[in-house]
Amino acid sequence: MEMDTNGAGTSSAAAGGGGVSTSTSDSSSAAKRNSKKPKYSRFTQQELPACKPILTPGLVITTFTIIGIIFIPIGLVSLSASEHVVEIVDRYDEGCVPPNYSKNKLAYIQSSLTNKSCTRTLNVPKLMKSPVFIYYQLDNFYQNHRRYVKSRSDKQLRSKAYERDTKSCDPEGFVLDGPIVPCGLIAWSLFNDTYGFSVKSKMLEVNKKNIAWDSDKEHKFGSDVYPKNFQSGGLIGGAKLNSSIPLSEQEDLIVWMRTAALPTFRKLYGRIEEDLQANEQITVVIQNNYNTYSFGGKKKLVLSTTSWIGGKNDFLGIAYITVGGLCLFLAVSFILLYVIKPRPLGDPSYLSWNRSPSGHPN
Amino acid sequence: MKRYVYINDDESLQELYCDNQISNRKYTVLNFLPKNLWEQFSRFMNQYFLLIACLQLWSLITPVNPASTWGPLIFIFAVSASKEAWDDYNRYLSDKKANEKEVWVVRQGIKKHVQAQDIHVGNIVWLRENDEVPCDLVLIGTSDPQGLCYVETAALDGETDLKTRVIPSACMGIDFELLHKIKGVIECPNPDKDIRRFDANLRLFPPFIDNDVCPLTIKNTILQSCYLRNTEWACGVAVYTGNETKLGMSRGIPEPKLTAMDAMIDKLTGAIFVFQIVVVMVLGIAGNVWKDTEARKQWYVLYPYEGPWYELLVIPLRFELLCSIMIPISIKVSLDLVKSLYAKFIDWDNEMIDQETGIPSHAANTAISEDLGQVEYILTDKTGTLTENRMIFRRCCISGIFYGNESGDALKDVELLNAVAGSSPDVVRFLTVMAICNTVIPVKSKTGAILYKAQSQDEDALVNAAARLHVVYVNKNANILEIRFNGSVIQYEVLETLEFTSDRKRMSVVVKDCQNGKIILLSKGADEAILPYAYAGQQTRTFIEAVEQYAQLGLRTLCLAWRELKEDEYQEWSLMFKEASSTLVDREWRIAEVCQRLEHDFEILGVTAIEDRLQDGVPETIETLRKAGINFWMLTGDKQNTAIQIALSCNFISPEPKGQLLLIDGKTEDEVCRSLERVLLTMRITSSEPKDVAFVVDGWALEIALKHYRKAFTELAILSRTAICCRVTPSQKAQLVELLKSCDYRTLAIGDGGNDVRMIQQADIGVGISGREGLQAARAADYSIGKFRFLKRLILVHGRYSYNRTAFLSQYSFYKSLVICFIQIFFSFISGVSGTSLFNSVSLMAYNVFYTSVPVLVSVLDKDLSEGTIMQHPKILFYCQAGRLLNPSTFAGWFGRSLFHAIVVFVITIHAYAYEKSEMEELSMVALSGCIWLQAFVVALETNSFTILQHLAIWGNLVAFYVINWIFSAVPSSGMYTIMFRLCRQPSYWITMFLIVAAGMGPVLALKYFRYTYRPSKINTLQQAERMGGPILSLGNIEPQPRSVEKEVSPLSITQPKNRNPVYEPLLSDSPNTTRRSFGSGTPFDFFQSQSRLSSSYSRNCKDN
Repeated sequence: MEMDTNGAGTSSAAAGGGGVSTSTSDSSSAAKRNSKKPKYSRFTQQELPACKPILTPGLVITTFTIIGIIFIPIGLVSLSASEHVVEIVDRYDEGCVPPNYSKNKLAYIQSSLTNKSCTRTLNVPKLMKSPVFIYYQLDNFYQNHRRYVKSRSDKQLRSKAYERDTKSCDPEGFVLDGPIVPCGLIAWSLFNDTYGFSVKSKMLEVNKKNIAWDSDKEHKFGSDVYPKNFQSGGLIGGAKLNSSIPLSEQEDLIVWMRTAALPTFRKLYGRIEEDLQANEQITVVIQNNYNTYSFGGKKKLVLSTTSWIGGKNDFLGIAYITVGGLCLFLAVSFILLYVIKPRPLGDPSYLSWNRSPSGHPN
Repeated sequence: MKRYVYINDDESLQELYCDNQISNRKYTVLNFLPKNLWEQFSRFMNQYFLLIACLQLWSLITPVNPASTWGPLIFIFAVSASKEAWDDYNRYLSDKKANEKEVWVVRQGIKKHVQAQDIHVGNIVWLRENDEVPCDLVLIGTSDPQGLCYVETAALDGETDLKTRVIPSACMGIDFELLHKIKGVIECPNPDKDIRRFDANLRLFPPFIDNDVCPLTIKNTILQSCYLRNTEWACGVAVYTGNETKLGMSRGIPEPKLTAMDAMIDKLTGAIFVFQIVVVMVLGIAGNVWKDTEARKQWYVLYPYEGPWYELLVIPLRFELLCSIMIPISIKVSLDLVKSLYAKFIDWDNEMIDQETGIPSHAANTAISEDLGQVEYILTDKTGTLTENRMIFRRCCISGIFYGNESGDALKDVELLNAVAGSSPDVVRFLTVMAICNTVIPVKSKTGAILYKAQSQDEDALVNAAARLHVVYVNKNANILEIRFNGSVIQYEVLETLEFTSDRKRMSVVVKDCQNGKIILLSKGADEAILPYAYAGQQTRTFIEAVEQYAQLGLRTLCLAWRELKEDEYQEWSLMFKEASSTLVDREWRIAEVCQRLEHDFEILGVTAIEDRLQDGVPETIETLRKAGINFWMLTGDKQNTAIQIALSCNFISPEPKGQLLLIDGKTEDEVCRSLERVLLTMRITSSEPKDVAFVVDGWALEIALKHYRKAFTELAILSRTAICCRVTPSQKAQLVELLKSCDYRTLAIGDGGNDVRMIQQADIGVGISGREGLQAARAADYSIGKFRFLKRLILVHGRYSYNRTAFLSQYSFYKSLVICFIQIFFSFISGVSGTSLFNSVSLMAYNVFYTSVPVLVSVLDKDLSEGTIMQHPKILFYCQAGRLLNPSTFAGWFGRSLFHAIVVFVITIHAYAYEKSEMEELSMVALSGCIWLQAFVVALETNSFTILQHLAIWGNLVAFYVINWIFSAVPSSGMYTIMFRLCRQPSYWITMFLIVAAGMGPVLALKYFRYTYRPSKINTLQQAERMGGPILSLGNIEPQPRSVEKEVSPLSITQPKNRNPVYEPLLSDSPNTTRRSFGSGTPFDFFQSQSRLSSSYSRNCKDN
């Protein structure tokens, strides 16, 4: 090894050593050497101590086993949490249209003369502990449509000073009297179905306070911004707003303005702050105002309890169990493969260069 | 086609030709911005980004804030523009220095000091000793009474010996004073770059009576950038100035070099671009269809029924912008950054510091390190590159006694020292010849030490050796030489000098011993030019043996001889010599003939052996690099025998049983054609055998072959792994590089002299050795190294690592951009194909610029194999050469991975965050953080060696992602106010992240493990072996390690003693054309004979066919 001048490990001093003629080591070059030599550091020499893991069977099999062992319990826990959530989903868009309008639902919903009230009865399958969250669910409603999602003015919502900042709100920015507050398609299409709940003829109190995010109420929607010219144009979209209440307290609007990323979404309507007993019949009186009929969207009323994982959603649990299972499967197959077809790592027989064309690639 | 230069005519020529201002600048202050922008925008990538940035200004279609593209774009442009500006400023400074140098020029008949840039064509320029020539001059006067002057042309052609230049015959004898007033006209061709040719005429006007036209050749010129040496003064007429000089014309702007990898990246970028266009078209059509069918029903979107004319374009353009991140804007910045770091690693490398001079290696071109790992051909110079270009007197044989055989150094041989001390007459005569039979000029330095100025390194070695043996050549005063021997000073008067030519292969001096008045002829030369001329009866057998023996050791031999002349013999000869010296026709030949008449009946004194050592580690380096699959060509100006000899001793070619040497020669087209075809035939037959076949070609045959048989020669070049091209000119070197490049080979040219500059500039990679022939090569080169052996490390370590790292970095850059882009595309399917961006502007910009570029940048520290392993298994370089780590199929792998990861992230996100959790901002952050987690693990999985910096960057980056987003989440006005705090409090967020990581990385890990264990590449196998201390490494240790040079040489030479033909030869003689012209076919020497001898033994195989 001692002659391998550039090999690993040999010191740099040895590199210029062996047998250089004597006449070269005069004093001037020695002086130069000191001045020009770059400073040695492990970084500049690319010699930082490094850990070089390789994919040994042991390491890989252990990894997959551990992942499997961890994931399956987590999956089970998530699944059971999701199973413990009690959820009542009632689709009412179809049922709330009187039979004589069933051929022409659009006319029904667009007419101002028809009676929009509708009564539904829900059965509580299991005890629902307080608080019970009330959601409305819209299907096939593209709150994430580009034209829709951009049509708002955060500045205008935040402060009165930017009332006229409606550039981005087109086509619901201005009416003849001035700017619309809150402007834009999102606000304009505010959901306007209402629900009244009663159990055994007793009205259930629905708490509609604090359904929006606190941060929105405090920072995104100004307490000095009042609705103005809202729904006063030719086209009426969704709900009207009480122009004497500042936006920061219009929680339904605030919830609605948190646009959903998926075409199927639920938004919080309110909370029932008492337990619902199993097998109780809940009567819901729905004011079915919102038009989803033109685009075939569904409307659902959802009552749900919650758990540490959120609402009822089996996806995570199932996914965890699947992934965990697959990992264990992989681990087992790798073990089998290792036993059946052992292959020593770094076997030089795989290094025979003759098997690959080592000469000219072209 | 001609230019007429009126000498010393101040009026007429001022405006006709350019002044002597040299300009290497690319820009001026005024045109910098437009020109630079134009250059930058001529690159496709930049045009693309500019288009995207402009489109983003249209708010109707932009999904994100335009600043997210404009910011990086302007930054990138500013960086490269300021780099260009800085380079150009430095060029300006160096030009200015040259332009403002003061020179003496005759103006209105008076010598004046003017700046070099004010020299005009026709001016008379005066130079003093050691001045640099400011422009191309035709000599009209020198201090030498015979009208000679010496110039050093190293900067022009790289030849270090001094050249003689002579004033035209018409100017001969013009008085010093009259030179100011000389008038005349020079008719010369328009400027060209041929430094060997100057066909012009001079006619002087009255009163300079010589009214005839006097022909001028290149011998009558001194060219820009040469230095005047050993001549007190010289003056000449400026004929070409400024950028129109021979040097200026041949300079040319070196083209920016593009690495094979860059080309591949560009190709892949193009493919991605096409893919992007397809995606955009499909989505655009889908979007418009959806809009017309579905969106009209979505009343809350309020689509107007009548849109503007461009309505159909809006959605496709939106998608174009959404998908524009497919081509990562960061890739150029990242690549530039890591490339400059690769270059820094080369600069910093302690193992590539020349220990003798302390000069570290330097990467002047920071952009092409990856190419080092893909080199297929190395074209190397010989002298100074493979050898040290330092001649050392090693052994001698004086009247049959060998000195220095035991110790390897005659200067330390006690017997010789004793003989010198005892004033043994043979030895003293031998040493006297060594000391004075030369053209060396001793110069006393201020400290009193004597320095020798020699035209050739061999003479330098001999004079110095003589001085060490107490025969000190002290002084030369006019024609009187002084020698100090054992305290006494002996004086000789030089009567004649019979100069060396490559055809005579010897030189002689005639001196008169001032003590006793004897006239002596002292000669030295090649064995075949001296030994046959020994006086009848002298036994030359021992000398022949000595020559053989020394040649086998790879030493350059010279025979020394002398003869006492009779007074009348000398006088008679002297007349003939004078006559020959003044002939106009075939002067060189006449002189040679006359010399021949004196140089006979020698008393042979002995043989000297001079070593031009191979540099340390050259054979090992060549062996290792050849194992790595790199082909070597040697291109040298030296003669064939010397080249072959060096080639043998440095593993370049193998000796006879294993290797075979084929010769291409011939002086006419037919001969060359025949020999080319013969060689080609042999080559085709033997290409399947495991035999080292090399071909040898000389400059003359090469010129014919390249001109008339280019196709056949190209085929030969492809077939042959080794070639030796001797007696080639700088431009032929460049042509050969060009030839190999045209066959799509990656070429590396390495050289040390100015004659290598063109080849260095022409090659894909130019490496200069900052050696003894000056720094021209090193300056022109992309890399300069101190020693040839550093090439091994440069290629195998730096080149290979650079290639691997860039391969990972570039593909990863595309991967990460594709991931986020695919997610956007998937999202568009659930957002009504309307072109909504899932991610906000800040995230999108930060994703490319911060979140994903930092971890991958530390991949510049990644090492897949340790340096030692690579050195032991150089064949592993094959993976880089063949581009196995970056090609369309590996890229397809990364493409598939990005698609898979995008699906994983997207599907898991929209399912885990469905229903009441489907808030846009939250969902986008979940998807984004899913990507970031995956990035971290992808980088971790692809990293081979983790240093602390990698851990910091990979995991620190993950932490930084959260910190940055927490900061953004704390700003009320930002779009994502409180989002990240909310998410981090949700257990389901973390569960989702782990799910994404496990689902995304599990299959990748499993696949990688499977391939690693059951379908391992050579790299994998070596990795395993290296880290487990497996059998391969121990096997490597048993491998024969490099042996010393001495051992290397001797076994080789035994097999080929006949071909050893070491002769005295200056490093680089004049061009072959001149010697051929003067001698024609009547050469009495066996240059061509020796070739045929060669061919008979080497191409035995051909004759059998």
